[in-house]
Amino acid sequence: MVELPAFLPALPELFLAVSTMALLMFGVFGSDGTARLVGQIAVVVLLCTGLLVIGHGTERAVTFNGMFVMDGFGAYMKVLVLIGSALSIILAQGYAEREHMNRFELPVLMLFATLGMLLMVSANDLISLYVGLETQSLALYVVAAFRRDHAKSSEAGLKYFVLGALSSGLLLYGASLIYGFGGTTQFDRIAGLIAASPTPPVGVVVGMVFAVAGLAFKISAVPFHMWTPDVYEGAPTPVTAFFAAAPKVAAVALILRLLDGPFGHMVEQWSQVIFALSLASMVLGSFAAIQQTNIKRLMAYSSIANMGFALLGLAAGTEQGTRGVVVYMTIYMVMTIGTFAVILCMKQHGRMVEDIRQLAGLSRSHPLMALGTAIFMFSLAGIPPLAGFFGKLYVFLAVIEAAAKHSELYILAVFGVLSSVVGAFYYLRVVKLIYFDDPIETFDRQSDDSIAAVLVGTGLFTMFFFAFPVPVLNGAAAAAAALFTG
Amino acid sequence: MASKTAPIGRAGPNSRFAIFRCVAGYLLAAALPAALTGLFVSLVPEVAGGGVLRWSVDWVPSLGVRLSFLVDGLGLVFALLISGIGVVVFVYARAYLDGHPQLVRFFVVLTLFMLAMLGTVLADNLIALFVFWELTTLTSYLLIGFTHERADARAAALQALLVTGIGGLAMLAGFILLGAAAGTFELSQLRAGTVDVRADPRYLPLLGLILVGCFTKSAQFPFHFWLPNAMAAPTPVSAYLHSATMVKAGIYLMARLLPTLGGTEAWTVTLTAAGAVTAVLGSVWALGQSDLKQLLAYTTVMGLGTLTLLLGLGGTAGVVAAMVFLLVHCFYKAALFLVVGAIDHATHTRERDALSGLAAAMPVTFVTAALAALSMAGLPPLVGFIAKELIYVGAVEAPVVPAVVVGAALAANALTVTAAGLVALGPFLGVRRAWSQPPHDPPWTMWSGPLLLAALGVGAGLYPALIDQTLVAPAASAVLNTPVEVHLALWHGLGLPLALSGATLALGLAAWSARRPLDRALAAAAAGLPRSAEGVYDAALAGMKGLAAWQTAVLQHGRLRGYLATVFATMIALIGLAFLWGGLSPAVPLPLDVPLYAWGAAALILAGTAVTLKTTSRLTAICALGAVGIGVAILFVSHGAVDVALTQLLCDILFVILLAVALLKLPRFRELPHRGRAAMVATAGLAVAFGTLVSLILLEILATPLDLRLTEFFQSHSQPTAHGRNIVNVILVDFRAFDTLGEIAVVMLAGLAAVALIRVRASARRHQENNR
Repeated sequence: MVELPAFLPALPELFLAVSTMALLMFGVFGSDGTARLVGQIAVVVLLCTGLLVIGHGTERAVTFNGMFVMDGFGAYMKVLVLIGSALSIILAQGYAEREHMNRFELPVLMLFATLGMLLMVSANDLISLYVGLETQSLALYVVAAFRRDHAKSSEAGLKYFVLGALSSGLLLYGASLIYGFGGTTQFDRIAGLIAASPTPPVGVVVGMVFAVAGLAFKISAVPFHMWTPDVYEGAPTPVTAFFAAAPKVAAVALILRLLDGPFGHMVEQWSQVIFALSLASMVLGSFAAIQQTNIKRLMAYSSIANMGFALLGLAAGTEQGTRGVVVYMTIYMVMTIGTFAVILCMKQHGRMVEDIRQLAGLSRSHPLMALGTAIFMFSLAGIPPLAGFFGKLYVFLAVIEAAAKHSELYILAVFGVLSSVVGAFYYLRVVKLIYFDDPIETFDRQSDDSIAAVLVGTGLFTMFFFAFPVPVLNGAAAAAAALFTG
Repeated sequence: MASKTAPIGRAGPNSRFAIFRCVAGYLLAAALPAALTGLFVSLVPEVAGGGVLRWSVDWVPSLGVRLSFLVDGLGLVFALLISGIGVVVFVYARAYLDGHPQLVRFFVVLTLFMLAMLGTVLADNLIALFVFWELTTLTSYLLIGFTHERADARAAALQALLVTGIGGLAMLAGFILLGAAAGTFELSQLRAGTVDVRADPRYLPLLGLILVGCFTKSAQFPFHFWLPNAMAAPTPVSAYLHSATMVKAGIYLMARLLPTLGGTEAWTVTLTAAGAVTAVLGSVWALGQSDLKQLLAYTTVMGLGTLTLLLGLGGTAGVVAAMVFLLVHCFYKAALFLVVGAIDHATHTRERDALSGLAAAMPVTFVTAALAALSMAGLPPLVGFIAKELIYVGAVEAPVVPAVVVGAALAANALTVTAAGLVALGPFLGVRRAWSQPPHDPPWTMWSGPLLLAALGVGAGLYPALIDQTLVAPAASAVLNTPVEVHLALWHGLGLPLALSGATLALGLAAWSARRPLDRALAAAAAGLPRSAEGVYDAALAGMKGLAAWQTAVLQHGRLRGYLATVFATMIALIGLAFLWGGLSPAVPLPLDVPLYAWGAAALILAGTAVTLKTTSRLTAICALGAVGIGVAILFVSHGAVDVALTQLLCDILFVILLAVALLKLPRFRELPHRGRAAMVATAGLAVAFGTLVSLILLEILATPLDLRLTEFFQSHSQPTAHGRNIVNVILVDFRAFDTLGEIAVVMLAGLAAVALIRVRASARRHQENNR
């Protein structure tokens, strides 16, 4: 008789998949007013999934013939992804009701995307990697074009789909090359194969490059970033918030698992690629942001630069570097969601404000919102003692430590510092507008408790991270250790 | 507590209750700095006796990072200055900004600044020090931009933030290097000197980075330009941040790191040169200013240059002189800033040319200004005289080019005498002017503080014992890391320093008497002097904006075709690189002995591709593409993969049909704008390059033996285990039954989605009918 695989390690994913499909049916067959309820249940489902993840613990368990792995790294990143998704759904709920796009499909699609992300985090095989990535991506393409009656949203969805499909193609091509030359798709065996041969076969190297390029799309690293500003601007704002948070975390987790795991012995080769991607992302992301007048495009470039920083830690190629990346992604995600919560709060005459210049004088009319914006901007600029500084600090510490062996990493550190300065310039320009410039127009008063709650929560985290950094730092250290010893 | 003071300013002044609340407001505003001053004063005896107080708490135990504070002689002097001058400034500012609508915010930020500054000088951990350091930058940004109605204030605030922020980041990089080299981030352990950082190969880069941080913060040439611009801040802020405390942070750090990093040639030359140039240029520029506050700002630049110079000398004499001058400078400069604020308050101008003859109208202010200026000019019996003598003692002992150092000190000090005259005598003596509102002394809350500071200059001059054993000796000992005996006295005996003091005074007075022609000469010479890095700063900002615009035009144009081209160009570069690392075997065998039908299929594929590219009709293009698919299918058939060929063929047919449907919605191809020839060539180049690389990879794959494990497995297991002879069928329903199940689930989900769509249409129709 066929032996059944162990389902327990994948329990969170199974729960999420079944719940989401049930929710889909509930939405389809329910009455017209179910959208709100579906959104609320979706948050609860994510919460329960998170509890299941935590309940499983951090012990390493491999199942489904080695396709799926659950370990300390997976547990940490999954919790992060789930938090990001839950917050995004909360933001989307408030927005959708205001903007009359309250459809049950939105939370359901976001849940499917989240399922894909969880699979990505736990992928232990090129096949499961691809399945997870596509589950996520296909849902995201649809979500990007959710306002299909808006030209910009449709354009965003189309661009995202075409470029995303191309990147998936690159990834698949790379995977098939790796399989063709290595004879296996499973991470552990690939690792063994590479460790055994002094010089890896050229096909594996090329395949790895293809795979990294495909993944670079997902985290919008330069030069695979072009979709980001257009999609961020075109997609509905809460969807943009979602794009900027959870999928980035999942993709970074996937890159970490892939490069530190099966390709851990090819660090010499991939660190060059990551080096180039990181450098280009930091520099371009920082410089290009200067000219932006649309706050969503600004956030797009900000996310590009931030991914450059995250890759900086990866380029170090050490456990400390991976720890830095994990810390960085945690802080980045919270800051980004907070910033988008602020953006979602800004309305004038019933319309969303996206032009940065319209923020002038916000401190006069909405002091608390202005304070929130200032906290997030200062934090994104990496000014201590806000959380963003610590994200950069741990990455820099790892890079400088690794630079003792690979002196070219100093160059990366220098460019990292330079682009932080440039980045500070445009983040602080927003603060200047809010606090020092005269108001042009007043903002609408509105009371949306759920968005306000997200804003306050993320703001407090950003502000007081310095006082209680231990849970995040210990969690990140454990996650990185799991990746390197597991 | 500051927040509680705020609404009071707006209360009616006539009510007795309001007066009570007003007094309470002052008390509250100054309570925290006063309490801190008391605390630090109470620590003086212990620290003067050589004690070092440490306090620390775990911050991130897993990484071994601790939040630790250290109170020794050096830290205590700075802490006393910060909290003590804080009391004066808080009380003064409360009156100066009375009735300002944003008084709350001002005091909150000012209090935060004070705490951050204290953190900077008391932190024992380099990372913690950096955090506090950047907090001072941040709060100073908010304070400089406080009068944000003015565009210059906003620009100056941003400039100060960026310049000191850049320096701060460089410093952080330097700290991290220092921590890596020394193996610790704790200052107290660094000073214990278990590892000699100066011998580390990273010494020069880390020294350079840390000094960039110190020089930007302490306004050393060529980074000094932000300081005069920052005078857009309210005067109490200038007095506090830009003369007494924040700009001294760089000095503090240099003093703190002197035992760890100092004593080398690089240290001595850099600090001496930067300090000397800054001191001389600062005093020269000061005389050319017509605005009193700008003039004081440049003399502050001069003072900071002198301090850097003295720390660069590094010996006992230099360090003692630096510590004394630090105290003296804080006393007189803060007092003078506050005096200028009082003048501005009374007359609404700070222009030198518009001010004269105020002595009778503002006697207390005049006395304060005179006392402070005498100390600044370095006349006995004020403490400024002692400081100047010590500076000359240190300069004479300079380890590098003492003649130049002495000359620079002499020039800077002489011009400072003149500057002191311009500030303290110019506005008060001379003809009385007719004012629309007669000027008068400010209320006691605004004159008592400055007068106290000026009086401290006299007191410390007459009774040097007030500061020498209590503050200067512990501070100098802490800087030098060895106990130092200091006995200050007005009379140092005859010698070179005294002669130099005399020369300083004579030169300064000569310049004072010739101030009118000197003004003109300086204005003329100013054009020829080095304009510092401000030009670079402006150019960098403009360049950044230009680069941003360029990238938007070139990379972020919004056209999908261009995006795809960028992606493929990158892939070509990356794969090329991978080939370089992997070492592609150069002679890949190209099997040319293929059967004729294969050549035919290849020709069909090529022809189809060519037609697709050249045609101007979409329908033709799609059909030609279909021909390519058929060619590929033929190749599959020829290799025995009939099922794959069938799939390929079916997909191709479906693709052509779907595209044809979409075609109906598209504009005619011929009507679309034609692309330029260069763009076509570039695209063709990309395509050819990518195709070549992919072909190379394929050839490489052909060169490796085929792995037949799976084929053999299915061949040998189909019949015995699954009882089927059609291997494909067996794979679908037996070996990969779960896959098939999954596919069925997918089809079902798609059906559900379709149901949702149909229901939407149905409900829309229902709505329409209901509306009808």
